[in-house]
Amino acid sequence: MRTLRAPVVVTGYFTAMALLTFFLLYENVQGQLSMFLPARSEQVFVTLSLLQTVIVAFLTPAFAAGAISGERERRTLAVLLTTPLSPAGILIGKILSSSALLALLLVVTLPLYSLVFLFGGAVPEEVMAVFAFQLFTVALIAALSVMWSTISLRSGWSTILSYTTVTWMVLITGGLGYGLQWIAARFPMDYFLSHWGKVLLSLNPLWILAAIENPGLAERNGWLRFVGVYTAMCGILFLVSVWRLRPQSFRLVPGIVRTDERNYQ
Amino acid sequence: MIETQNLCKRYGKFTAVDHLNLQIRRGTVFGIVGENGAGKTTTLSMFATLTSPTSGRAYVNGYDITEQSTEVRRSIGYMPDAFGVYDDITAEEYLQFYADCYRVPKHLAVQRAREYLAWVGLEDKRETYVNALSRGMQQRLEIARCLIHDPPVLILDEPASGLDPRSRIEMRSVLSRLRTLGKTIVMSSHILHELCEICDEIAILRAGQLAAVAAVPVLLNHSSAYRTLRIQGQAPYAVWERALAGACQVREVRYRPDGVELVFAGSLPQQGELLQRLLAEGVQVYQFVEQATDIEELFLRLTEGPVNSQ
Repeated sequence: MRTLRAPVVVTGYFTAMALLTFFLLYENVQGQLSMFLPARSEQVFVTLSLLQTVIVAFLTPAFAAGAISGERERRTLAVLLTTPLSPAGILIGKILSSSALLALLLVVTLPLYSLVFLFGGAVPEEVMAVFAFQLFTVALIAALSVMWSTISLRSGWSTILSYTTVTWMVLITGGLGYGLQWIAARFPMDYFLSHWGKVLLSLNPLWILAAIENPGLAERNGWLRFVGVYTAMCGILFLVSVWRLRPQSFRLVPGIVRTDERNYQ
Repeated sequence: MIETQNLCKRYGKFTAVDHLNLQIRRGTVFGIVGENGAGKTTTLSMFATLTSPTSGRAYVNGYDITEQSTEVRRSIGYMPDAFGVYDDITAEEYLQFYADCYRVPKHLAVQRAREYLAWVGLEDKRETYVNALSRGMQQRLEIARCLIHDPPVLILDEPASGLDPRSRIEMRSVLSRLRTLGKTIVMSSHILHELCEICDEIAILRAGQLAAVAAVPVLLNHSSAYRTLRIQGQAPYAVWERALAGACQVREVRYRPDGVELVFAGSLPQQGELLQRLLAEGVQVYQFVEQATDIEELFLRLTEGPVNSQ
């Protein structure tokens, strides 16, 4: 956040999103500003929010995947671990600092949504729900990236693991889930395909976001599975990360394999 | 202040620290020397709670390094042998960042950061980015960082390593002044002369075991064990050889153009007997002096030969 990279990223992102919004709105009214089509305006809102979610989802690992492994590579981790900061405190601090710029990107584009209001279609509650879910998704991906960064020894590996996770979340669950649903629609008797299609789609942030904007799209409270599964994943990785940072924290757990701290710090 | 009881650290089959027993009194500047792989860094890492012992116990400032590691971390300022610094942060901000890590109140952190930057001779580098400082300056900044939360114990692993001669002299000056702060300081180094100048006591580690530990003057005198005698005189080589061949307690002889230099392990009366023997054999002795024991020579002597089987 202290380097030139932050203002350049924020300015570039806002400019791109503003141009895209104006383009979509212009297309929406087909050059006639007096022509109001609330349904199409909502489409603009959905397109913008989905696109924004994809962008921040793929941007987040770039800021978070080197959080701890970068400290190790810079040789600043050992000193940090000799301070009274707890491993949990270090991890949470890293997640917050990695998410900060992405949250800022989301905040600066809020005024663009207000333009969509001008043409009707979206209500403030919907916008706030979408915004909250986007923030949650950013924090989630940042948390997973920071923990991959803690568990793996090198930033290269943590970047690969983080992008694999995001690809799974955004592309694989979406593609597979939608594919299974498509097949199930043609073979309605195949409950198995339909069920797993729904399960996979409920793990996709874009699908959840679309369901927030269009409640008929997914089952009621479908987002709970999303939150539950990924929070559980974060919980498991969090424990492994704490063990990685300070294995002594688990000294009372019988039979736990002690890591070789020399290699890590 | 720091005590170890049969402290051991094993990495698989390799024993890095082997039943180490040390007692470091409050306010002492304690040096640890040893060859590469002797266990210095592992020992200091255990004191800094970065590594947990395989067996045995250690107490820093009265706290058990395993059971009370948070209290130990609050009590120490640790400088690792290889360290890095954060990019895009000024020297003053760097110190304040670590002050925050130790929950030092803001006003005190600002005051201490300035005070310690001046103390290590970096007062004019307050606003300079840390990564723009020279290696020597970064190492002095690390000393200031260790002091920022006013810990009673400093653990410095090779604080003057990798520096050019000028930076080394500046660093030595900072380390010497650390003594005046009255803190307990444990430092490791390869440079024995520097340790002798700075430290009150020195421990020599060898293959993870304690080879020797003593106050610096005691180590240097080492009078009951080995001394180097320089004898200037004139005699044919055969005479020298005959005179020294039967002399007891002579461990090593080096012939020089103007006489001999020998390592002598006897007492003062035996030293007198040696002189008489040389005279009796016909050596014309011009000068018979005991040289101050060289710490490096002593180190080599204590660390030569096979290691005791584990």
